[in-house]
Amino acid sequence: MQASHVLSVANLSKHFGGIHALNGIDLQIHEGEILGLIGPNGAGKTALINTITGFYRADSGQMDFMGHNLVGRSLHEIGRLGIGRTFQNIRLFKRMTVLENVMVANKTYAAHPWSAFWGFGQRRKAVDEAMHWLQTMHLSHQADVSAQSLSYGEARRLEIARALAGYPALLLLDEPAAGMNEGETEALIQDIQTARSQVKAMLLIEHDMGLIRSLSDRVVAMDYGRKIAEGSASSVLAHPEVKKAYLGEDE
Amino acid sequence: MIADHLFFTCINILLAWSVYVSLLTGSLSFAQGAFMAVGCYASGYFTAKMGLPMLPATGLAALISALIAALVGYPALRLRGIYLILATLGLTFCIRVLLENMDFLGGIGGFGGMKGGDLPKAAAAVVLIGIVLWLLSISPLQRVFDAVREDDRVAAALGINVTAIRLIGFSAGAAIAAVAGMLYGHYMSFVRPENFDVTLSIYVVLYLVLGGVNNLYGAILGAAIMTLLPEYIRFLADWRPTVFGAAILVLLLFRPDGLLSFRPRTALSKHGRALNAPGV
Amino acid sequence: MLAGQIVNGLVSGAMYALVAIGFTLIIGVLDKLNFNHPEVFMFGGYVGLVALPHMPVAGAFAMAFLVGGLLGVLTEWMAFRRFVGNDARTTAALSSLALGLILTDLVHKVWGTEPLRLPNLTGWLSESFGLLGVNFLNLQMVLLAITFALMWALHHVIAHTRMGRQIRAVAESSAHASLLGVHVLRVNQAVFFISSGLASIAGLMLALRADTVSPDLGLTFGLKALAVMAIGGMGDMRGAVLAGLGIGVLEALMFHFGLGRLGELTVWAAMIATLLLKPAGLFASGHHGQEQRV
Repeated sequence: MQASHVLSVANLSKHFGGIHALNGIDLQIHEGEILGLIGPNGAGKTALINTITGFYRADSGQMDFMGHNLVGRSLHEIGRLGIGRTFQNIRLFKRMTVLENVMVANKTYAAHPWSAFWGFGQRRKAVDEAMHWLQTMHLSHQADVSAQSLSYGEARRLEIARALAGYPALLLLDEPAAGMNEGETEALIQDIQTARSQVKAMLLIEHDMGLIRSLSDRVVAMDYGRKIAEGSASSVLAHPEVKKAYLGEDE
Repeated sequence: MIADHLFFTCINILLAWSVYVSLLTGSLSFAQGAFMAVGCYASGYFTAKMGLPMLPATGLAALISALIAALVGYPALRLRGIYLILATLGLTFCIRVLLENMDFLGGIGGFGGMKGGDLPKAAAAVVLIGIVLWLLSISPLQRVFDAVREDDRVAAALGINVTAIRLIGFSAGAAIAAVAGMLYGHYMSFVRPENFDVTLSIYVVLYLVLGGVNNLYGAILGAAIMTLLPEYIRFLADWRPTVFGAAILVLLLFRPDGLLSFRPRTALSKHGRALNAPGV
Repeated sequence: MLAGQIVNGLVSGAMYALVAIGFTLIIGVLDKLNFNHPEVFMFGGYVGLVALPHMPVAGAFAMAFLVGGLLGVLTEWMAFRRFVGNDARTTAALSSLALGLILTDLVHKVWGTEPLRLPNLTGWLSESFGLLGVNFLNLQMVLLAITFALMWALHHVIAHTRMGRQIRAVAESSAHASLLGVHVLRVNQAVFFISSGLASIAGLMLALRADTVSPDLGLTFGLKALAVMAIGGMGDMRGAVLAGLGIGVLEALMFHFGLGRLGELTVWAAMIATLLLKPAGLFASGHHGQEQRV
């Protein structure tokens, strides 16, 4: 019995000059699961997300998202197909308020500039919808605050709220817990579980192995742009190749 | 005399706004000279040679201008802003050369016979376009513009068709510049291609930068100052470029984070909080 | 006649290339547009105007390089040093534009707005020679020779000297270079000096060939060099040279085939074509910067 693939990546490669960020990686994400993705720095985890979402153009390989080919598609097409993401180095719209950051992810406006111009009537609805996402991420009291004055943890939650506001089928989280303390990380686990119920599948890149263990249904480990292990969190973390890859890393 | 000054102030406000609308989407355009020329010549052709009344002539001219903008802008708008700057500079230059070579439009000698431009019409244009820009600033589309301007790749990842948005901003700017061109031509009644050169395009951008880019009022301020003051202060008129250049550089001292930084919105933006949404 | 036109085109192309190289160097190293560049180019001719009555041509070239270089360093100080962050590129471009306005206005005030004649060249430089039935000017050969010598020198500096290594390091990543002990500010200044010095020399060359100087040259010829740079690829020096020469010859051919003033559009049409077909630059060799499409 196979759960259907939400995302299937085959033999994907991307190189910059002589460096292979992705070196023939294979990966599937099944419906309903959170796939954890681990690997030392430089393994290609963010490169993978960038290639899937269209920030990088793949050099070779296939990517299939719910029956749609992703290779060669533009950023906004992929966004509209239903893939949402967060960023390792947090890329919020700093000059907009928290609420506006989420509102702009509302695909009705994104798709139709004309109705966006005249959309005064829609605004109420859009605001309510955006507030709903903010509530989900415990940010509604910050709605009118400028995004640049958020704390680290709040900024990461806002990114998730913004990604969710597009009703993605697949959510890709890139190190959401980076820089968080223990309390914040605990709260984040809850938030991710909440987010999980909103999407069909999730990819979670993390260095925090506790987070990986508690949230992932399966784990894939990467190094040098390819997959080196796959399976349950405990089996992957005990895998000799994985341990070797992390040798010298603090974790 | 003062009607004269006010008329040109209106023209410059429109031109500065045309840069502003493009800039809202993150595109810095140096092509306003070209679009103004297109608007002027096209509308002039429709009124003087074909006998159309001013309003439809203006509409058609603005449309033509917007189409040219979309056509030329398309290759450049998909790429980094630096390419648009070069392309728009090139466009201004090219339109001028083309016009100089189009003898049915008067060539280098110029094109005349337009009439009917005056201060009331210019002022009306300013008011109308100002209202449209104000409507834009409170509409959801403004947020989309902001997102595209601030981080175009993230905006695209959210599903926003960034190229389309940029085309809209750029073409709208071209249409506004065309209106300014129409008014100018029908006021001066005789124009030559050299009136619409690269220097004009550059000045227009600087009006906006000087007045401020945060909202639509900056264009009014910059255009008014740089059009009216030199009329009353001889020194400013004689040394216009130097004063202008120096003013920009002085602005540096007070705004070290740059001339084009849009100020972030602080708490209680107008439409954020009229909602009584339950907080959590 | 055609051969003569082509040589003429090569000379123009050489000048485009010199200006474009300087421009592209600044983009490669600082990732910013220097809009004062065309005006420094224009000013080179005026340096010649002042210097030529008092010294041989070689001296005038040296002066042009020096003055241009100093203007470049001044530009770096006033318009480029302070800005970091997202809008830095646009701000630097606008500030350098402002400087260009001031420079042009000063030229207007001192020398007027109309073109001026350079003192007549005497001696060997004003002569010509015949080869295979075509008349070539010695001046043309000298200008070509100087251009290629300068390009070779620049290539040598970048590829084989310590300063060149530092420049390449900063072009790669100024943050990393700084960590490696490179004095980034010095490198920037050097880059501006070289770039503007070359532009100034090109301006003098144009003035010598046309026998006149004019304040408008920045916005006409100089701007075309910007387009040449885009065609060659931003930050790509080899591309700038190839594109410059290519456009120079292409323009000459356009004029030769009777297109008259429309030949002026050649370079801009070529630039649009480049943006449509190969935005990274028709002659680009490597990759400058990351992905460029949205």
